Amino acid sequence: MQKRKFLSFVSLLVFVLLLSAGSALAAENVLKLGVLFPLTGPCATAGQRCVAAVETAAEVINNKHPELDVPLAKQEGILKGMKIQLVVADTQGKPDVAKSEAERLLNQEGVYAIIGSYNSSASKPASAVTERAKKLFMCGCSSSAALTERDFKYFFRLAPTDKTESKEFVEYIEWLNKNQKAGIKTIGLIYENTEFGKHAADEGKAAAKAAGFEVVADVAFNPGATNLNSEVQTLKAKNPDAVFGACLGGDYTLWVRTMKQMNWLPKVALNYCTGYQDPKIAQQLAADGNFFMGGTGYSPEIGAKYMKKVAAVEKIYSKKVGVPFDSDSIQEAVALFILAQAIEKAGTLDVDKVAEVIRTTTFDSPLSLGGKVAFGPGGQNMKATSIITQLHDGKYVPVYPPSYAETKATVPMTPWDKR
Amino acid sequence: MSTLAQVLLDGLLAGMLYALVAAGLSLIWGVMDVINFAHGEFLMVAMYLSYWMGFLAHVDPLFSWVASGVFVFLLGALTYRFLVSRCIGKAAMAPLLATFGLSMFLKNLCLNRFSPNFRILQSTLLEGKKILLGNIVIGMPQLVTGIFSLLLLFALYFLMKKTRLGWAIQATAMDREAAELMGINTDRIYLLVFGLGGACVGIAGGLLTSYLAVHPEVGSLFGLIAFLIVALGGFGSIPGALAAAVIIGLVEALAGFYIAPVFKYVAVFAIYLAVIMVRPKGLFGW
Repeated sequence: MQKRKFLSFVSLLVFVLLLSAGSALAAENVLKLGVLFPLTGPCATAGQRCVAAVETAAEVINNKHPELDVPLAKQEGILKGMKIQLVVADTQGKPDVAKSEAERLLNQEGVYAIIGSYNSSASKPASAVTERAKKLFMCGCSSSAALTERDFKYFFRLAPTDKTESKEFVEYIEWLNKNQKAGIKTIGLIYENTEFGKHAADEGKAAAKAAGFEVVADVAFNPGATNLNSEVQTLKAKNPDAVFGACLGGDYTLWVRTMKQMNWLPKVALNYCTGYQDPKIAQQLAADGNFFMGGTGYSPEIGAKYMKKVAAVEKIYSKKVGVPFDSDSIQEAVALFILAQAIEKAGTLDVDKVAEVIRTTTFDSPLSLGGKVAFGPGGQNMKATSIITQLHDGKYVPVYPPSYAETKATVPMTPWDKR
Repeated sequence: MSTLAQVLLDGLLAGMLYALVAAGLSLIWGVMDVINFAHGEFLMVAMYLSYWMGFLAHVDPLFSWVASGVFVFLLGALTYRFLVSRCIGKAAMAPLLATFGLSMFLKNLCLNRFSPNFRILQSTLLEGKKILLGNIVIGMPQLVTGIFSLLLLFALYFLMKKTRLGWAIQATAMDREAAELMGINTDRIYLLVFGLGGACVGIAGGLLTSYLAVHPEVGSLFGLIAFLIVALGGFGSIPGALAAAVIIGLVEALAGFYIAPVFKYVAVFAIYLAVIMVRPKGLFGW
């Protein structure tokens, strides 16, 4: 009996050892990457979509996909079969949590690089952690220009910045005044009181003033507010011709609906990377969301025309979240594709060599508008472009620049009582 | 002048809504001395119920508030029976931590089941309806919520002051042991109070879906403001909750418009601190 027990114990021990040896062997050919996004909290919708986008890219890279015409799809893994393993972590949209999770991902999980973190306020401290540790931080869609003004060596951002978008908004307003006689003279801003919102507003004000527009309303609000009555009331009282908005998620819907309740609209409402770009929110707002505008890096309509290779990849993504890519999530997929291409080109996991490849290479990127990615000073993607779209019955219709425009924008926006 | 009137009206209607959310918490806190940290999440659950009833069965929030009220009444009663009753009489922080755990559970359950997406109910009976008084706009959903709030608070006040049940609740709040000696089943009173508290916030949540997006985080700030109102108005006082809610609504609107929108919660908490320093029991505290 004793002998039987002893044998069972030894067999169990051998089995466990074999298992761990197996996983250790498997682990040798795995590259762990941290995926750090807000999975809970007010930005959870966007964060979960960003994770799904990175997972989609990992799936394409890890397995053979001969049907896809995107880099690394036709081979299995990188560096002759190395698979990418994602370690997902939650920032809750909070800078302090982002910092501590970045530290955990690096020190405990031992990830090679981090992809993240949607909110500029979270990307900032998280990337400071990776920079100190000399690890790569690939940032898809955080848009605060300050992120690429820090002269970091290991930080790379794909999306256009608020600065670029602000200049584009002002340029578009000048174009509207000239070509559609829009008569826009005054600008108002409404933005969440966060790193992202404040920075977007500063850039918006600077661009508007530089072009000679008068900024008549500057409305900051606390995100997640129970109502935006006084905010919209302030806008209504100042009655700017155009409003630049930086309201994420639920705040965006509340802003639109409060304007409807107060029966007020500017002639033009242009939105930064916000709730405007969320196809689910556009669907939920239905007709109320019509005629709002914003910078857009991707929508299925734009994809069908200018980024035809996305559709097949999008099928994988849509299965995970039930919606197509949006301007933000697609940038996170691009972030992983670029990192994987750089590792493949460097032929090594040496961080400095990979960073050098990222800095000096112009990458093919079928998932980016324009098809190319190349980084400039501070790690900003110099090829990042977005076009201005206007929502028409849930569809993001390009209206500017003229080379992309599919229709004449509805300016001024149709008043609430005439819809 | 019309701008001032509009701001005051917005503040008043926001205050009415806050009163409806806070009334239930005031009851629970006043009677049982238990802080229900899941109060904001009760609101969220009610909003989801109302949303799904509207989305799937096309029941308008004008009617689905009944179901939301009943559902959260049951949720409140079950919370008391299976969670809070086991903590009362233990460590002082036990009920607080238990309800905090419940709030996390409810929030994450909804996050998991319904995703973090923002859900808006379209084509409700009140959607887009408004009354125009010159330049002043009164949104119908907000007005209806305000009227409901007044009616419900009046009914609660009547229940507490004019009925035997209300007297029993008050007696239990004042001295549980003495109330038991007088033949009051205090355990049942607690159960009922938790249920009633839930029903109030359930009705508020049911109505709110006619103009507010539903998502797992929606109850957080409402919950916080409800705590503020109860402390400001005085624990257990229904008129106190109404007065405090209206004060907070007005301060929020006036500070938000005349100082800066980002300053509105600074002003709200400053008023709260000022009142509490002068009168720690709150405006109408027992």
